[in-house]
Amino acid sequence: MVPKFKPSPLRIRSFCTKTVQQNPHHWPIKQITKTNFNESLSEIKNHISSSDFIAVSLQNTGSFSSPWHRVSTFDTPETAYLKAKFAAERFQILQFAICPFKLQASKVIAYPYNFHLFPRDELKMGMPSYSFTCQTSYLTAMAKEGFDFNTCIYDGISYLSEAQESTVKVRMGNPMAVDHATKSSSSPALSVADTVFIERVRSRVKHWKNACTDSDIKTEAALVTSLRKIVLGGEQFGSRPSMTIDVCSERQVQLVLKMLEDFSDVLVPLIIPAKGGGTQAVRAVLTSSDEDKDLLKRELQTFEFEQNKRVRGFREVIDLISASQKPLVAHNSLNDFTFIHSKFLAPLPPNMNEFICSLRLAFPQVIDVNYLLKDIGPVKKMTNISATIAYLKNRFFAPIEMEIPNQANENEGKIHGHNVVKICQLFGKLCSILKITPDAIESSDDFLASAINRYANIFYSLPGSSQEPTNEEIRGWTNDKRKVSCEDVVFLWGFRERISAGILKNMLQGSHEVFAEAFNVRMVDRSCAIVVFGKPGLSNTFKNVMNSKAVSGPLREMVSDGLKAAGYETYQRVCSSGLWESALADALDKTLASHNCLSEAAYETKQSEIYLSNELINLAEL
Amino acid sequence: MKKRWPITILYRAFSSSTTSTTASFPLKHVKKSNFDSALSSLRHHIQAADFVAIDLEMTGITSAPWRDSFEFDRFDVRYLKVKDSAEKFAVIQFGVSPFRWDPLKQSFITHPHNFFIFQRQELPLDGAAYEFLCQTTSMDFLAKYQFDFNACIHEGVSYLSREQEDKALKHVNSTYKDESLDSWHSLKEIRDTHLFNIPDILFAERMKDRLSEWLGGLLRNRDEGSEVQPSFNDSKQQFETIFFKMRPAISLNGFTSHQLRLIQLKEVKDEQKIDAEMSIKASIGFRHVIDLLSSEKKLIVGHNCFLDIAHIYSKFFGPLPLTAEEFISSVNKYFPHIIDTKILLNSNSILQQRMKKSSTSLSKAFSVLCPQIALGSKSTHLSLQPSVKVEVEVDDIRSSNWNSGVKHEAGYDAFMTGCVFAQACSHLGIDFKQQSSSENLAHNEKLREHVNLLYLSWTNGEIINLSTGNRTSESLASNKRKNHYPKILFECIVIVWGFPSHLKAWDIRECISKVYGPTSVISVYHVDETAVFVQFSRAEMVSKFLDLKESLDRNNDPISVLHPLAKLLEGGNTCAASYETYKEICSSTVSKVLFADQAKAVGIKWKTKLVESSDKTKEHESLRKVKAVNSDPSCGERTKNKNFDDVSNDSSYSQLSSDEIIDSFYTREAKQI
Repeated sequence: MVPKFKPSPLRIRSFCTKTVQQNPHHWPIKQITKTNFNESLSEIKNHISSSDFIAVSLQNTGSFSSPWHRVSTFDTPETAYLKAKFAAERFQILQFAICPFKLQASKVIAYPYNFHLFPRDELKMGMPSYSFTCQTSYLTAMAKEGFDFNTCIYDGISYLSEAQESTVKVRMGNPMAVDHATKSSSSPALSVADTVFIERVRSRVKHWKNACTDSDIKTEAALVTSLRKIVLGGEQFGSRPSMTIDVCSERQVQLVLKMLEDFSDVLVPLIIPAKGGGTQAVRAVLTSSDEDKDLLKRELQTFEFEQNKRVRGFREVIDLISASQKPLVAHNSLNDFTFIHSKFLAPLPPNMNEFICSLRLAFPQVIDVNYLLKDIGPVKKMTNISATIAYLKNRFFAPIEMEIPNQANENEGKIHGHNVVKICQLFGKLCSILKITPDAIESSDDFLASAINRYANIFYSLPGSSQEPTNEEIRGWTNDKRKVSCEDVVFLWGFRERISAGILKNMLQGSHEVFAEAFNVRMVDRSCAIVVFGKPGLSNTFKNVMNSKAVSGPLREMVSDGLKAAGYETYQRVCSSGLWESALADALDKTLASHNCLSEAAYETKQSEIYLSNELINLAEL
Repeated sequence: MKKRWPITILYRAFSSSTTSTTASFPLKHVKKSNFDSALSSLRHHIQAADFVAIDLEMTGITSAPWRDSFEFDRFDVRYLKVKDSAEKFAVIQFGVSPFRWDPLKQSFITHPHNFFIFQRQELPLDGAAYEFLCQTTSMDFLAKYQFDFNACIHEGVSYLSREQEDKALKHVNSTYKDESLDSWHSLKEIRDTHLFNIPDILFAERMKDRLSEWLGGLLRNRDEGSEVQPSFNDSKQQFETIFFKMRPAISLNGFTSHQLRLIQLKEVKDEQKIDAEMSIKASIGFRHVIDLLSSEKKLIVGHNCFLDIAHIYSKFFGPLPLTAEEFISSVNKYFPHIIDTKILLNSNSILQQRMKKSSTSLSKAFSVLCPQIALGSKSTHLSLQPSVKVEVEVDDIRSSNWNSGVKHEAGYDAFMTGCVFAQACSHLGIDFKQQSSSENLAHNEKLREHVNLLYLSWTNGEIINLSTGNRTSESLASNKRKNHYPKILFECIVIVWGFPSHLKAWDIRECISKVYGPTSVISVYHVDETAVFVQFSRAEMVSKFLDLKESLDRNNDPISVLHPLAKLLEGGNTCAASYETYKEICSSTVSKVLFADQAKAVGIKWKTKLVESSDKTKEHESLRKVKAVNSDPSCGERTKNKNFDDVSNDSSYSQLSSDEIIDSFYTREAKQI
């Protein structure tokens, strides 16, 4: 017989192409995969608990599919969140870098780790994700950095979100110990049926218990023992005898638990969850003594602990971070934390406020370095961390010494996750420039915390303004701080493709009297532009003109060629209804169509009016 | 006469041809670096081939559990599901194995190629970014078979579909045409509005003079054979002689963009256009292979390849048509002859006998039909049946001795498919020795009845003929599907979703049976945990059920609360509609994991969609047998089957207590009153 093909480690290695090492960096960042995950956990835990801050940085499989899906200057916090949510739900995190660090005067002591993640359906339940989207440009860029996709897919760490873990627990049907919260719920008056039920179960339990304890003394034939088991419905739970009591409702569960309290000296009740949620049965386990009872409880705990750990995977680290309550530092916090929330906590809530509340429960303080940057002065938003560091280096004298005590990587593979260290560095610099670093090491953490608190939890901010933005403002185009209400913004589409804003503006000028006053035009994508009116009220006049049958002049020609207009509320509806067509014009068309056929005016106007009456955007001269 | 190559030579030849791979099976791995050379050699192999076997590896099969292949898929729904899969997932490996009969050696020679492909966004196209979906289980599956993702993403061959190429070319054309038009336009405007633009005209004229001066000077210099001397000192800073693409040119400084446009040289623009077109041609990449297969009109052999063909269409030709009919007719235009080995093995009784009734999965068929190839020719003597000899040639080195390759590597799968086909042909009595090389194998009368048949759905054995567009169910000769199953009448089906999660198929059946009687429901089938198909015994019950549900939703009085259907409607989110709505939802590009979420995302806001009347045409009435229980395990090879939660044949109704039956009678009576 010819031996069948069997993969040997050697083969796998020769088969996988080694990625070429380019641009080697000196920062020793620990690379963590499935193989060294468990052994690294305790070390990470120590570093997290001794750190002042934890920087995080993600490498995802994509961000936005079409130009208009990108969070842009004309977005309100709400639409920005919806855009970030859409991306977070579709794309996948392949690398999660964390870096617990300490800030000591002009020194940053950092312990960077880079985790390679891959969602694996280990429980065959379609979790953590059934599928995910990849953008070729992102994968190509990662490939250029020498990313090893084989390591990632073969050896990436899987995970489950908190919400998924609780569904899994139910579906796996593991017995759960009864905690006192569920036990001591108020018991209403007993009906006759309840009493009958309780008494029947009580007598069964009593007989079974007596039989079990008796059989310890008497020596019976094997046959008799097994017969007894069948008759009394007893079974084994581990090494201990147990008995399953079937229940039909949650009420009966309560009744059984209450009744079992009478036997609490030797019986330990366990709840067997049903597959579809709820309770399938209550199991009573007989213990021989108080010590044995404690032992059983401990056994159950460790069993659950081990199993949960296996199921949670990488989320263990998220839980450690969350439990430490340390402030987190990120570079693009809205993007990163929508991803973190959707992959590791729970599905993203429908709006920004709920998201922030939900996130705050897990991570009380999130600091965006971009926001700190705004306090320094009129700095343009920089997306590149290295460029920002270079910029600060030229303008301020704030030398930061980076100390990374991690041992050099044992495996010779490519080192990834430099961004997280750069974030630490940038944060250190910013703190030193803004004088929020305690000068002396002995000063308490509390001081630092209160200083930093001012900058925490701002996910979406206006440029140039240092106070926390309110929900009604939209970021400006560039440096100009002229605020524009959403009411003065009109979305315009249905013109010929590849037209420039200038030409469109020229076409509009003179087409109607509303364009006699100052107005600006900006392209959103190839299919759609926004028009901003300088004088309040003109936008409504324009929308009315567009809707009325009696359009005249050059505008009429444009309308007959397909020109359409809609207010900001339509755009908001596009984002909230999830019509992420690749061209904004198509999305607006679809939204208008579904809105018209539905015409549930009450819901719509209520929402948009509240928003629009005081919503502002900053606009520059175009 | 067989020539044996020493193992070492074989290994070296093989390892030199590919940068990294297994040492066991001679397979030509093609990546970016060796694509051009591989393509030119493959061109000859394909031209000389009798048939070409293909196989694809994708990043996933179904974008949501409810998009899986079901028994309850009508052919148009089935097509929509295949379309969705082909549109969302990426092809990352493409196996091409051309087979040629060598009359001298009395054996087939094949050249198995394994292409790593990965579409990169190489052209600055507007609009959406290229993206694709990965199904986590599929990625895990590929990883299990040591798929080299690095080779694919780092070094995969990119491609452009015909449609993308046309679009890009059109874009280039319009860019250069538009600009020239614009500038022409502006020039005309300038002439029209003389008074305001006289300075422009003057400037243009001055430029013309200077250019001709420069040109004249240049030519003069060339005649004299001396160095270029700028003869106009005053414009030294503005004019500078440079070389543009081997031609003398001048670079222009100190002009405004408007001025530049006026003096832009047309030749330069043409050069740029040609450059842009060249880069488009260069990014066609792997599509050259497909174009070759199409233009050579060779017999294409695949194994259960309907999805593969759909992928080829959407990746290399253009967007998939909306209907199966259009798809089939265009596929037939591009590939006139396709044979599916899975159908071949299942439909022919001789082959079934040969297969000894084993599963028709590719690896199984390969090991049963071609044991001597599967094990390498070392064991030829063990086999008594007449076997077709196959030799593998990679980079001009032939071998007939190898170890087994890696399953689910496209190149090896294509090789296996080809071997299975060659062996099957021999069992069918096709004598390759008699077969003249000029004659197309597809026209052989013994094969004719099998050509261009594809499984539309392996799950329910529906076959489609690509050349005629006819759909048939698997022929009766198939002894694996001998059971007679109730035919599915799609107008008898209602889809229900959003019901309380604790309700299972059995509960729903019981609930509806209480209203319409024990024989009203033929089966209840879980689409996923949030949706079921309810198959009624008569079509008119569909509208009755929907009417009743609608009225119960509307009236919230005690009578409707006590109605037997109330259990199903509990929670107030239960929706129901006819099969047509299911089709509509399948045609959406959105893919939510749960069906109930999908319906919401598609924009369904009603809770019941009533059917107008029951006098619908019976065109969808298909006369096919459908397996009620989970079909043969081999179908897990391509499409994982969901557990069929059918209750039609079980004794569920008899499990109802007599009280309940009486109850249901009363309700029916009550309804009649």
